[in-house]
Amino acid sequence: MKSLERSFYSKSSKYSFIVVLLLFFSIWIGTENFLHFDMALMGYLISSLIFAIGLTIRMSSWLLRPATRQVIQRSLKNLRQRKYKRRNMKAILKTAFENIFLQKFIFKRGIYRGVQHFLIAWGCIGSFAITFGLTFGWMHFELVDPETYTIVVMGVETISMAAHGLFAEMVYNGLNITASMVLIGVCMALTRRIINEDVKVTQRAEFDLFPLFLLLAVTVTGLLLTVSYVLLDGWMHHYMTLVHQVTVVVLLIYFPFGKLFHLPIRPLTTAVPMNYQEEWKVDTRPCLRCGTVYSSDPQVSDVKEILSVQQFDLQLEDGSYLSDYCPACRRRIRVMKQLNNQPHLQQGHNPILTRNGSEMSGFGSRRTDDYYNFPDHVQKELEQHKEEGGNER
Amino acid sequence: MSDFIAKEGIQNLHKPGEKLITTHCCYCGMQCGMHIRVNKSSGKVVGVEPRYDWPVTNGKMCPKGVTAYQTIDHQDRITKPLIKKNGEFVESSWKEALDLIEKNFKRLQEESGKDALSVFGGVSMTNEKCYLVGKYARVGLGTRYLDYNGRFCMSSAAGGFIQTFGVDRGSTLPWTELEHSDCFFLAGSNTAECHPTSIQWFWKAKDKGAKLIVADPRETPTARVADVHLDLKPGTDSALANGMLHLIIKEGYVDKEYVSKRCNNFEELKQNVDKFTPEYTSEITGVAVEKLIKAAHIYGMSPRSVVMFARGVEQQSKGVDNVRLYSSMALLRGQVGKFASGVATFTGQGNGQGGREHGQKSDLLPGYRKLTDPAAVEYISSIWGIDPSEMPKPGVSAYEMFGEIEKGNIRGMHVICSNPAVSAPNLEHIWNGFKKLDFLVVSDFFLSETASFADVVLPATTWAEDEGTTTNIEGRVIRIRKVTDPIGESKPDWEILSLIAERMGKGKHFLYNEAGEIFDEFRLATKGGKADYYGITWDRIDRENGVFWPCPAEDHPGTPTMFEESFYTEDGKANLGVVGWKEAGEVPTKDYPLFLTTGRVVFHYLSGNQTRRVDFLMEQCPEPFAEMHPALASRYQLEDGDMVKLKTPRSHMTVKTKITKAIRKDTVFVPYHWGKELAVNQLTSDCLDPISRMPEFKVCALQMEKLPAKKEGITRE
Amino acid sequence: MNKIMYLEFERCIGCRACQAACRECGDHDAKERNYVEYVDFTESRQTYPMLCMQCKDPACARVCPANAIQITDEGVVLSAMEEKCIGCRNCTFGCPFGIPKFDFEENKMYKCDMCYDRSKHDIAPMCASVCPSDAIRFIDFDEMQQLRRRRSQMNLVEGKKPQEGNKWEYVPEFFGVYTD
Ligand code: SF4
Ligand code: SF4
Ligand code: SF4
Repeated sequence: MKSLERSFYSKSSKYSFIVVLLLFFSIWIGTENFLHFDMALMGYLISSLIFAIGLTIRMSSWLLRPATRQVIQRSLKNLRQRKYKRRNMKAILKTAFENIFLQKFIFKRGIYRGVQHFLIAWGCIGSFAITFGLTFGWMHFELVDPETYTIVVMGVETISMAAHGLFAEMVYNGLNITASMVLIGVCMALTRRIINEDVKVTQRAEFDLFPLFLLLAVTVTGLLLTVSYVLLDGWMHHYMTLVHQVTVVVLLIYFPFGKLFHLPIRPLTTAVPMNYQEEWKVDTRPCLRCGTVYSSDPQVSDVKEILSVQQFDLQLEDGSYLSDYCPACRRRIRVMKQLNNQPHLQQGHNPILTRNGSEMSGFGSRRTDDYYNFPDHVQKELEQHKEEGGNER
Repeated sequence: MSDFIAKEGIQNLHKPGEKLITTHCCYCGMQCGMHIRVNKSSGKVVGVEPRYDWPVTNGKMCPKGVTAYQTIDHQDRITKPLIKKNGEFVESSWKEALDLIEKNFKRLQEESGKDALSVFGGVSMTNEKCYLVGKYARVGLGTRYLDYNGRFCMSSAAGGFIQTFGVDRGSTLPWTELEHSDCFFLAGSNTAECHPTSIQWFWKAKDKGAKLIVADPRETPTARVADVHLDLKPGTDSALANGMLHLIIKEGYVDKEYVSKRCNNFEELKQNVDKFTPEYTSEITGVAVEKLIKAAHIYGMSPRSVVMFARGVEQQSKGVDNVRLYSSMALLRGQVGKFASGVATFTGQGNGQGGREHGQKSDLLPGYRKLTDPAAVEYISSIWGIDPSEMPKPGVSAYEMFGEIEKGNIRGMHVICSNPAVSAPNLEHIWNGFKKLDFLVVSDFFLSETASFADVVLPATTWAEDEGTTTNIEGRVIRIRKVTDPIGESKPDWEILSLIAERMGKGKHFLYNEAGEIFDEFRLATKGGKADYYGITWDRIDRENGVFWPCPAEDHPGTPTMFEESFYTEDGKANLGVVGWKEAGEVPTKDYPLFLTTGRVVFHYLSGNQTRRVDFLMEQCPEPFAEMHPALASRYQLEDGDMVKLKTPRSHMTVKTKITKAIRKDTVFVPYHWGKELAVNQLTSDCLDPISRMPEFKVCALQMEKLPAKKEGITRE
Repeated sequence: MNKIMYLEFERCIGCRACQAACRECGDHDAKERNYVEYVDFTESRQTYPMLCMQCKDPACARVCPANAIQITDEGVVLSAMEEKCIGCRNCTFGCPFGIPKFDFEENKMYKCDMCYDRSKHDIAPMCASVCPSDAIRFIDFDEMQQLRRRRSQMNLVEGKKPQEGNKWEYVPEFFGVYTD
């Protein structure tokens, strides 16, 4: 294993190598020894390989970040623990369904946004699945008899269907359907960006708009292909294939490096409840100071771990860490610390003195009498009354 | 004229597709400057932008100001006239509503004489509208019964100032000078909550070493940082002020030259305060002797000082006396009419200052002219184009109008820009009055508690749908701009008043096409009066960041600092206040052993009709509460959040307790911004000041009772 | 941008204008991102405002497994990118000041971004613009230094410069976007 490790520049190059190798292997199986390989898809194949390499590199550098590694490690550990199996599966499946499949949380941000994202997301995923399936030859159609097709996946025959049935139509038009979904979604997204100024506030325009335009280009050219094929008798078909191919190649190459990269990392979301919530969305760890539950033990220890790997020293004098306190108490600690007023850490308190000789009043502190330069007799009189004791609250 | 005014070098955020319109907040007397963001294509109001270059507030706003724009296009806006049919409001046309008003107004006047009608005005609207309310009542309806909600707000200050200085301008100095002062004596003002944007000036002064003395039964956010907090019993201000005067004289802090040259009654005053030794004062007020002495010396030693007060001292049966005595503190120190020193009251309502000058008060005509002065009547009659003999006589004060209703003298009422069903004292009496009326018309843009008693509700516009001017806390006349067209079928108040006047056959006196024409008319009406606006034009306001009245001519610079040379009294000298000690109208007894005092919270404005409809403000403060000291709470076994029944000789109510040590141990505080069963004004006392007719909102005797637990969780976040 | 957000807690009067104003900022979706809290209401009405320190090396970003928290060229630490955030809330526990807020419903983290659309043009953020007490200010670096010097006997350990990792121990003024 060591020697394998040493044959590469870095971990990511090693993984890229393995991924490419696996892809070739799968093509080999899928196309039954390259028998069914469609040479017209060569351009796609190459760009897909670049895509795979890019993705691998990005994924591995992402996984190397201390924060990510910590979460992945905990997830793996959790998954290995038999006694939590049921809980884990339940958590993963539930999050996967609500969060990834239904994308409920985006609908909460607004129905419009929900629909828009749902269309783009599932349109893209569908398109990718079909395109990759075809280019890598994982899947092809075979005619069984003049009336029946069968879909061959990885060299194994699966479903057969009537050549002109509804289902068949849907399968042939799969790409058209997914592409239309993306097209509608992208248009909605662009409209929102034109109408709503606020969307642009913190988004870098290129980062946000480029992928949208790219998707637009891919889907429009792709759909035009169909249009030309079906309605225009293949007019300009060849030329358009080329254009389409170019857009797809750009998209594939851009994918791992831009906004779209959020797609492959999204599944990590399923690990969150499993790792950090004993019970679904319930906090269990009490704050060290006020006792409000605000998090869970594993999460706080993860956070501490991640911070300490990165040389963040957030330990207080009494040995506790800032992450042991709920956010509200952390805010208070900061304020009190800066005002030298931390009853829970120090004995008593010691309100601030400023250098211009005056005390800042507030936080219960008062200016001392010498600030006022009272004449002596007044000072004496005041002392006397103080001894008698006023009705200070 | 541009709608957007900003000085060079000032940067504002202009979002694409939006324009900014420069105006002021609609709420309190600070009249904070702001720009309102309007979508260019739809004309809709979309937000607010700070007006950094407004000299009084520097772009700062309180949460009410920030959210004020949300009331403009609010879903609760009344957009059509409403007529009550079988106890239900039905939307109707303007014609239908006006027909009904004409019919009933005429019928009532025929049956019971001109004075059967009455007008209840308000001062949270522009000078133009306030002026027209007076003219509407006296010319349009011809009734003597006219008064306004300033009676529940500023009238004690007005009375006190007139007696002391001869004129009522809320502040003798501009706010921008406050930062240079050395000492502030704040009495009965919760400045931090009620006039938040003033705080910047106090804090700036404090940074330079200024001292702050605050007299308040509660340790308000302002009192919290005070050098001396005089935590007096509610209703003992006149004793406290006399005690301070005693010490100022005894310790030799009197500016003898100033007093002898510019003030009357010094000897009487000296004699009068003789017995107010610190010990005697302490006995009455409950303030420690040490604090009194310390406060007097700090105040006396400061070369420049400002005495300021607000509703806490004014809303008492001795409101006018309190104002006179506190003002005398500044006079003895020779502070009035000088740089960065003087006397000021914090104007409560947006146009509390302007509104009370323009003849909405039962006994006043525009320009602070007296209705009892024949020359004034003659002059105003000539402006209004009526015969002096047609001018109605003085009527009665706001609260007393409800007595007239009781007696059957007043049978119809038009309430404009006011919500007495929440803001008046002893509410059950008020509610009965409204029920007894034959005919009630209310102009408002939300269905207020008062409006729900009405027979006809007329949809008025908000402040952002009309042009005009207001006069802020300092006496500075400023410009309010139209931001958007009236929502729905609503109309600005001046248009509504003109329409009704026309129906009453007085149309020829109300031929206005726009607010500017009213402004010009009332400039003329104020000419030569004490509050002289004649030299002020809308143009000048824009150019000069507002103009201070009195400003008798267009080349007159206005008067930021009052009384530099002399006072407005007949002999030009200020009258020092000589007033003995008198108990409040209602004091704790065996059955009612505690003090109840009322006031505001920062999140709500007056009767809450507007602010209770703004989400942010309601989230911060959804309901009233009874604030009390833990020592008091434990005597009644109350914990934070417990329900408690408050009872006064008039009525009772149930609220949640809120416990803090920042209040006297014998006093319970309840904010008054809610209506119906949540209105603390059901409980308040209707004891009136003999001069200003101001009810005693700040003091009444209270009985408290813990209610069986219905406790909800205490949230501490 | 060489301006600083400067906080002076004891000036705060608890009016929460800063929170109302925060809702008005572009892209804030009518939710405030700052805090105003009582120190202890039973004892006193003292409140304090709290907002993001815009750390140069933000702990929140460091603990984010999805690498969703980005820093702009000007140095403003933005809310987690919605598309990347996996909703683990690590940032809310990592931040030494308790700043990031998390919306479970929408599965998104949001935090003070110094009103990015304003501050990137050197216009004061909304909270600093409206705060009636100047408890929150948006001022030049030099002015900040001056103010700090005036109050320097606070718990600043003389001669030692706060480091990113421990600046929370020092004066409130070390805060905001600034260049050395
Ligand atoms: S309510 Fe008063 S202090 Fe608040 S913004 Fe309006 S004018 Fe200013
Ligand atoms: S700077 Fe802007 S985003 Fe940050 S707390 Fe203030 S208003 Fe909110
Ligand atoms: S706006 Fe200023 S004074 Fe008001 S709560 Fe916020 S920080 Fe405090």
